[in-house]
Amino acid sequence: MTPLTAAGTGRPTAAVTRKRLRMGTLFALMAVIAVVMLYPFYYMLNNAFRTQSQFEQQHGHSAVSWRQLFTELPVGRELLNSTIICVTAIALILLVATTAGFAFAKLRYRGSGTVFLAVVAALMVPLQSIIIPEYVNLGKLGLINTYLGAIMVYVALGTPFATFLMATYYRGISDDLIEAAVMDGLGYGRTFLRIALPLSLPAIATVTVLQFIQIWDDLLVGLLFLQNPQQRTITVGLAALSAGRTTSIPVLMAGSFISALPAIIVYLIFQRHLIRGLTLGMGK
Amino acid sequence: MSTVQAAQQPAATAVAARPGRRRGGSRLARRRRRAGLLLSLPAVIVVVALLGLPIGQAVYYSMTTWDGISATWIGPSAYSTALSDPILWRVLQNNALLLLSIPFAIGIPLSIAALLHEHVRGWRFFRSVYFLPTAISWVVIGMVAVQFFALSGLMNSMLRLVGLASLQTDMLAGQRSALVALAITFVWSMLGTNTIIFLTGMATLDQTLIEAARVDGLSRWQIFFRVTVPLLKRFIQFSFVITVISAFSALFSLIFVMTNGGPGFGTTTLEFFVYQSAFAQGQFGTGALYGIILFVIMIIVGLVQLRLIRSEDGEGW
Repeated sequence: MTPLTAAGTGRPTAAVTRKRLRMGTLFALMAVIAVVMLYPFYYMLNNAFRTQSQFEQQHGHSAVSWRQLFTELPVGRELLNSTIICVTAIALILLVATTAGFAFAKLRYRGSGTVFLAVVAALMVPLQSIIIPEYVNLGKLGLINTYLGAIMVYVALGTPFATFLMATYYRGISDDLIEAAVMDGLGYGRTFLRIALPLSLPAIATVTVLQFIQIWDDLLVGLLFLQNPQQRTITVGLAALSAGRTTSIPVLMAGSFISALPAIIVYLIFQRHLIRGLTLGMGK
Repeated sequence: MSTVQAAQQPAATAVAARPGRRRGGSRLARRRRRAGLLLSLPAVIVVVALLGLPIGQAVYYSMTTWDGISATWIGPSAYSTALSDPILWRVLQNNALLLLSIPFAIGIPLSIAALLHEHVRGWRFFRSVYFLPTAISWVVIGMVAVQFFALSGLMNSMLRLVGLASLQTDMLAGQRSALVALAITFVWSMLGTNTIIFLTGMATLDQTLIEAARVDGLSRWQIFFRVTVPLLKRFIQFSFVITVISAFSALFSLIFVMTNGGPGFGTTTLEFFVYQSAFAQGQFGTGALYGIILFVIMIIVGLVQLRLIRSEDGEGW
């Protein structure tokens, strides 16, 4: 649309005009799609700053619902819970996946290929298929409603893909480099710690971001393993709030926004790593 | 097997290439194997104890009446009993109907990726915007979706605006329409992920092929459907698998927030049925059984995918 006006100023050829028209149309299309994708964010923010009656009339704004949110939902506590669980689970996943990834890629032993395949195949196990025995097992160990119980489930769910990703990455490091380090007397443990681990920082970043978003956004594990409001994560708290049907929609929107914010920030900073993780999933 | 051997080859040649150090090499090789075993052990323990063992238990408990404390053995007949339950078939039907949304969950992102791939000014910014919803929880997405589909929500106001007021409905109140609303939300949620996959794929394409097609006089549309899409086959397969797996096993939060499985069993999918049977009705054995059915479906999806990759390797297009 707008590129048409340019025709008067520079007197471009018909081909140039056509090209500009095309670009303009494509840009407009992209903008329309952007509106569709951003709508939920706009909706959350717009309606979070309303009271329930303002929401019903779709008119006027106020910050009352935010105050109400903080009285109905222990937001700070739940954000802290989410953070503790995310950080611990990710640290454990990294510990397990970097060592195993390195072993499967560089320290092969008889049958290691099969073991690797078995670990990666565990990716196909849906959470719902194991959740009942898991719940009963961890219950017997007294780990329901403790951080540790939920963390263990998250670590189990994250390990197969993280191991696959790390192994793929370590395979790209030359064997000679590892061997030279071992010849120099570093030993395999220190070679891993001092040579391989620093080299794999990009893959570690990818695993971290993928897992952060997965765990932060999860509902089912938290819902079952953290039923106690004291340990509950923000996502579970939010779902519980909505299931309660007692609160106003603006309060829910304020809660939605707060719970989404950390994941959005992580996404904006580490986008690149997230995208790489997705494509690395294809194996190449 | 063949992968194992292929993987071991480079190491073997590396050792053989240094005949002078053979003795040290073999001692080193032993140490390497030991280090390998030791370092892979934690991951193996995690997978066996927290994924392998529970899936075995689930198979066992699926053939019992189990309330979480005491289990009574029924045997494999538990499956025939479960499979004769019309509600299970209703639930599986919901799963099948949800699969109908997959062409949209792949076709729309394919078009969006093609649009971004034109590299019009600002495309990088728009790419980030389209991918943003991937970061937020389906709990949050579901929360907004409920408002979108509500009688007073945006969808119905848009219908009013374009003079289709007679079409206004409370979609979440009807069994079939609620499933459609769920499917629409699902497709929207998958847009970012699939767009990025296709965009990455398009970046790897051989531009000379597309240039050649243009020289041959093919129109943009012809190039897209006859050259680009076939070349993206591997990426389309990958996104297909991700989308199918999500449709079967990642919709729990969305259903929980949007419909809680209702109205009736209108939006209860198999994964939600597992949760309902076990944790709402206390039938842990039946829940475990449904979980095993879900697992079997996932294995079939995985095998079909492997099959596709294999047959394609032979073709060598």
